[in-house]
Amino acid sequence: MHNDANDLLNKEGLKFFGKVNASISHELKNILAIISETAGLLSDLTELARHGKQIELSMLENCSSNIAEEIQRGFRTIKQMNRFAHSVDDFIKETDLLETLDLAIQLTGYLSFAITVQTDFQTKPEKPVLTCPFLLQNLLYQVLCFTYAAVGHNGHIHIRCSSQDNTGIYLVFSSTFEQAFSSFPTQGIQHTADVLGAKLNTDSKFAELDVWIPYTNPKFMTKEHKR
Amino acid sequence: MGTDRTINLLMVDDEVKFLSTITERLKLKFFTISSATNGMEAIEAAEKGQFDVAVIDLQMPGINGVQLLETLKKSHKYLEVIILSGHATIQSAVDCTKLGAFKILEKPCDFDDLVNAIKEAYEIRLKKKFKDDAARIKKIQELSVFESPLGLLKALAKMDNTEK
Repeated sequence: MHNDANDLLNKEGLKFFGKVNASISHELKNILAIISETAGLLSDLTELARHGKQIELSMLENCSSNIAEEIQRGFRTIKQMNRFAHSVDDFIKETDLLETLDLAIQLTGYLSFAITVQTDFQTKPEKPVLTCPFLLQNLLYQVLCFTYAAVGHNGHIHIRCSSQDNTGIYLVFSSTFEQAFSSFPTQGIQHTADVLGAKLNTDSKFAELDVWIPYTNPKFMTKEHKR
Repeated sequence: MGTDRTINLLMVDDEVKFLSTITERLKLKFFTISSATNGMEAIEAAEKGQFDVAVIDLQMPGINGVQLLETLKKSHKYLEVIILSGHATIQSAVDCTKLGAFKILEKPCDFDDLVNAIKEAYEIRLKKKFKDDAARIKKIQELSVFESPLGLLKALAKMDNTEK
């Protein structure tokens, strides 16, 4: 019943898991580097003070707030890492689409080519999506990466939901530039979308792309769900 | 190491807090520092200023560290470049070494290791420059024997070391 989803998880799942973990570890390295250098600066300033040099109080205040902010950033990163790690807990699950998208935005935010993402969810999904949460995360991550690379670091992405009926929901990604999405979808995105029963489209100017996610994919329905 | 002047450093990193903190620390070690938060800024700074050593991050938006290294090494013959990154892989290390990076340090790195690497890079820069300057002086001496004053001036103009 889930053979193609299983195959995709086996083929690409570990790769995706590794890629996200690598980007998180890089983020943590950056945080630790800032904390380490700030602690070093404090130590340097202490040494100077010991030798009679007047140290500005504002420098010490900056150091202390730097450390506090980076620790909070570290906590947020670890929280996201934890959310991502738990996306493999259930193979099929009723999943909050916007929460999954939010995590994908946070996780792709660690990539060097990430750009500003604005979201506007006046229209929201009517219900959770019965799907493979890990593959959905993978699909949204891939689409976001595609849009970042396509738009480039001088642009930004706007995401909204659009609903036409109760069978599924559209996530619409708008770019600042026409033709940005002319090569959408890539083979990998199409394959993941096919497994999830999602549909991909672009507008005629290739400035907007949408991902239609079904609320329920019959492939993922167990007897329990059908009841 | 005894030097008459401070070492001119160009620090490039898109992590603004890291950049400002490490810049403060290096200033306390009497380095003269300019900083840039992306590759384009760094290229412009290198054009305007005269730097002995650049310390650059690898992963940055727009021009990445490898591309920046390549550009800087092409336009600034004696500039030594140190890579300081949390994103270094074996492949990127190989690429950077081929492109002439002096050293690759992993973030977070020991501050003293960074300071020592900068000093070593500066010494290498001085040695390379001294070697080329000695060759230049020798050439000028040869030319002064055989060339007319105008010919000598023309030859000197050609040899002018415009490298920063």
